[in-house]
Amino acid sequence: MAYHKNCEGMTRRDCLQLGVSFLAGGSFVNLLRLQGIAAEVSTPAKTPARCILIWMDGGPTHFETFDPKPDAPAEIRGEFTPIRTKIPGIHFSQHMTRLAGIADKLAIVRSVCHNQGNHGAGNHYMMTGTPTRIPVGCGAFVSFHPSMGSVAAYERGAPEGLPAYFSLPQMSRSGGPNFLGAKYAPFVVSDDPSRDNFRVRDVALPAGLTDDRFHKRRDLRQLVDRFERITDEQAADPVPAMDEYYRQGYNLMTSPAAQKAFDIHSEPDTVRDRYGRNGFGQRALLARRLVEAGVPFVTLYDGGWDHHSEIFTGLPKKLPPFENAIATLIEDLEERGMLDTTLVVALGEFGRTPKISQLAGRKTPGRDHWANAMSIMFAGAGTPGGQVVGATDRNGHSACERILAPENFVSTVYRKMGIDPGKIYQTPQGRPVHLVTNPEPIAELMG
Amino acid sequence: MPCALLHRALAAALALALISSTSRAAAPAAPEEATAESPAAPAIVSGEVNFELDVLPVLTAAGCNSGACHGKARGQNGFALSLLGYDPGFDYSAIAEEAHGRRVFPAAPDNSLLLRKASLAMPHGGGERLKPGSQEYEVVRRWIASGMKRAGADAPSLDHITIEPSEHVMPAGSSEQLKVLAHYSDGSTRDVTRLADFQSNDSGVVSVEGGLVTAGQLPGEATLMIRYMNNIAAWNTAIPIEGSVEAQVYDALPRDNFIDPLVWDKLQTVGVVPSKPAPDHTFLRRAYLDVIGRLPTPDEARAFLASGAPSKREELIDALLDRPEYADYWANKWADLLRPNPYRVGIKPTMAFDAWIRQAFRKNQPYDEFARELITAQGSAWRNGAATWFRDRRTPDEITPVVSQLFLGIRLECAKCHHHPFEVWGQDDFFGLAAYFSRVGHKGQGISPPISGGEEVVLVKDSGSVKHPITGAVVEPKPLFGTARDIEAGEDPRRALADWIASDDNPYFAKVAVNRVWAELMGRGIVDPVDDLRATNPPSNAPLLEALADDFRQQGYDLKKLIRRIMTSHAYGLSSVPNERNVSDTRNYSRHYRSRLRAEVLLDAVCDVTGVPEDFNAMPEGTRSMEIWTHRVESLFLDAFGRPDANQDPPYERLPDSTIVQALHLMNASELHKKISHDEGRAAKLAASDKPPQEIIDELYLLIYSRFPDDEERQLVGEAFAATPDRRQATEDLMWALLNTPEFMFKD
Repeated sequence: MAYHKNCEGMTRRDCLQLGVSFLAGGSFVNLLRLQGIAAEVSTPAKTPARCILIWMDGGPTHFETFDPKPDAPAEIRGEFTPIRTKIPGIHFSQHMTRLAGIADKLAIVRSVCHNQGNHGAGNHYMMTGTPTRIPVGCGAFVSFHPSMGSVAAYERGAPEGLPAYFSLPQMSRSGGPNFLGAKYAPFVVSDDPSRDNFRVRDVALPAGLTDDRFHKRRDLRQLVDRFERITDEQAADPVPAMDEYYRQGYNLMTSPAAQKAFDIHSEPDTVRDRYGRNGFGQRALLARRLVEAGVPFVTLYDGGWDHHSEIFTGLPKKLPPFENAIATLIEDLEERGMLDTTLVVALGEFGRTPKISQLAGRKTPGRDHWANAMSIMFAGAGTPGGQVVGATDRNGHSACERILAPENFVSTVYRKMGIDPGKIYQTPQGRPVHLVTNPEPIAELMG
Repeated sequence: MPCALLHRALAAALALALISSTSRAAAPAAPEEATAESPAAPAIVSGEVNFELDVLPVLTAAGCNSGACHGKARGQNGFALSLLGYDPGFDYSAIAEEAHGRRVFPAAPDNSLLLRKASLAMPHGGGERLKPGSQEYEVVRRWIASGMKRAGADAPSLDHITIEPSEHVMPAGSSEQLKVLAHYSDGSTRDVTRLADFQSNDSGVVSVEGGLVTAGQLPGEATLMIRYMNNIAAWNTAIPIEGSVEAQVYDALPRDNFIDPLVWDKLQTVGVVPSKPAPDHTFLRRAYLDVIGRLPTPDEARAFLASGAPSKREELIDALLDRPEYADYWANKWADLLRPNPYRVGIKPTMAFDAWIRQAFRKNQPYDEFARELITAQGSAWRNGAATWFRDRRTPDEITPVVSQLFLGIRLECAKCHHHPFEVWGQDDFFGLAAYFSRVGHKGQGISPPISGGEEVVLVKDSGSVKHPITGAVVEPKPLFGTARDIEAGEDPRRALADWIASDDNPYFAKVAVNRVWAELMGRGIVDPVDDLRATNPPSNAPLLEALADDFRQQGYDLKKLIRRIMTSHAYGLSSVPNERNVSDTRNYSRHYRSRLRAEVLLDAVCDVTGVPEDFNAMPEGTRSMEIWTHRVESLFLDAFGRPDANQDPPYERLPDSTIVQALHLMNASELHKKISHDEGRAAKLAASDKPPQEIIDELYLLIYSRFPDDEERQLVGEAFAATPDRRQATEDLMWALLNTPEFMFKD
């Protein structure tokens, strides 16, 4: 197997240094070249951005975040009041105070809409820029097309010793690689970085096992592994994926860059406090560390945005730490001079219904799925801040100005990352597939 | 499950998805494309026009009542139509009566708002939908001019649609015009091709535009969905592999039971040749894993491999089916479909349910009886585990979609809120079925998460009803199709439902059951996903599914007999290694499809191999992971390899995927390291024995791979073993290495 041959390229010394602790560099570049994962350079023009995608799973309400509707009737307006932002004339909803304070760095797109009102299909459309090929249900975890993260991993390649695409703390539903293959699946760090004992599980050797012995074991594994591989991709054999994960696993264990990026404990307390001592806050900080280490794509998954109920009781608790972490992330990136080359986007699969509903069996009101309008937040990577693109009507019912599609959103992310959204891929079956069918980025965001 | 509580707004979005998969919501495909003049499309109507049969199809084809536009729950700009025209009465009054009748103007039909908007004579957010002068425009114009007639009570109604020509394979690159015929209750037919909607489930294999089907260049299979009003038809096709195969190749294949000829027939139509039979050791391992979810012991493997009996494979299957582990392994699969969250229903009811499921498999309860008992369960959830189902799913609308999905393979969830645009089920069907559960009652302490500690009794009340969410009318119990017997006075209505579901005449009941079992053994369902049986998701081999279902019925719904039947087919025993004519086959069973061992099987195997059992919280010592009663029992290993999320409502579908986390866990997890290097473990004992290295190596190969090493392996591994001075280390290292290879992790 090719993968194993690649692994043979590691020297014994490399492996020694691997799993355990702090490694001196040196031979790693060579190692990576052998493994063929050195970063590919794409569009040369601007410095291609890296991307932190904040995924608000369930479909965040646009009314209570970036698109308040104070003039709508009470059954639509909701209980929150709009607040002024740093930019005159732009208002956010009541609990978006931290982001309102940095509105000059943000571009809010209020007019993306689509036609996939259930979680399975909405996730797929926003995460890949492609609607599901056949109707799927709410609970579906489907993949018909590679996700943005997987495409970024494929196009941009990985930095030395780290995976190219991370998803924290879990994979989003349609965040997989599809036909690009397992190599481009996200590396999921499920461990909670807000815990004192945070470490990325299983990337270090177990206590009591020496590097030397681990290396011997690896050699022996290679010797005994004679299971026949079905290399033709049409066969859809699951074994090559596992081979790929072993290869990536070895690679990660040997990587000083990874050990360093994962070491969130080395951050000063002040920084950690600023992000918030909670799971999401610390994952945002970890995302910054990963991007700093050269990772091109990090998904920050956050669940609990499916507010069929408890919208006015839940959000005052959920929003403050959440939006503080995002605001801190953007400020921190700017202070480090990284904001120009890092795109931060926040969105979910769709917006929520104008009319406040109270579904049977729910004690408190909420809003339901609504794909006719949604808000997406952009910051960084040359995005002109302090602007709102598009608008919904008075009742937040539909996008009515500058109507945009998920394809435009995804194309914007790709363009900023130096990836041509108009590209045509060949699947392993030899079928041509457009990366994005309407590869038109949102001009106002391109700077 | 958020879906269960979806607002009607979902209707809009769902239907939208179906209108045009690539065009944007705001601008669906222009009508010119959908109704392009084509020689294959004759005049859409002649003679007198009426609303139901003539006008509504035109409006539907033009996209007016799609979920993106006027078909969404609140309509568009004050003009609402029913989604894709499922409610003609509503639509008629919206067009002809509402808005003070200004939408239609019989005296000067071209000045009707309906036509002016749709033809863009006035600004229209939806753009031009009806081109003036087109046939479609004319139909609507004539209808208005003639006074907006509805179809009379005696007018024929649309019964079904058929597609011509019939399904067949298509040569690569060929194309063909399909014809859609609408059949009416009076026996008349009409060509409705140009008003029908076409969609391919794999446009890479076969694309379709206005009924013109074009086959791609590569072999494959695809299904077209064709919709005309609320009628759906599917048209399956395949592009066969290039080159031909002599008929003798198929004639010469073994036919061990009825399954084989049906598999071979399908292979012949697509030009696929099956793989060779798997070698004995592969079959052995496969059979153990499939029937009892564990690996053979070295002694068991030795005995099977040494046997020369011609019937040894069949004997092995019979012996395995008699093993007690069978029950736990198969109950474990059903637990994925049924097991509730103990934080919701309480610990005792969860345990009782678990015990009930296991007991059913222990006594090999006939599957129809299993279904009946579950559907009609009552009593205390502390004592009758099956009653827990109704403690968890407390209302008719909660239990209905689960019953339907599990036992019929029909997904009704969407139909709760709106007519399913690409299916036949609507709210009437949903609530008709739900009405059978209207008299289920609860007595005692209800649920109070996260403890739900009280006892509750599920009972049948004297009365109870289910109301239609829109009309508010009480809905009488009604089966989804066919007829069900009457509910007798004082009888639990669920009994009548269970009789209908588990009846020999119900085509879905046996099919979804055999399909599940088939998928477990063969790596993929004949219908995939396994519990989604519908015209638009056709089986890869319909006669085979049919025959398996018939056989299952005839054998009294005996699951063991079904398993035995499948496993004794020649097809089951095929090798996974492809030849040049089946490498692309992933759905016709021309070779065995490999799968990674599921989490519990893998963990139990690791424990058996290392000789060190797992120590689970809240479970007695020596518990195997197959015996755990809730997914709340902590296990990093099981989490890494994927198991149901205890917080998610069943039914749960496991993802077979591999991940880097799994690779890292098998390599580096400290728990695993401790097992391998345990002083009382297998490696330590083997190393301390007086066995020569060769025997240790043989033993480990038998334990982990269920086979002997071949000569080359013996030599190479022997050398590596000898090179490690510490025998214990050498044994541990070899064990680690074998456990970390795909030959261990996968069922081949």
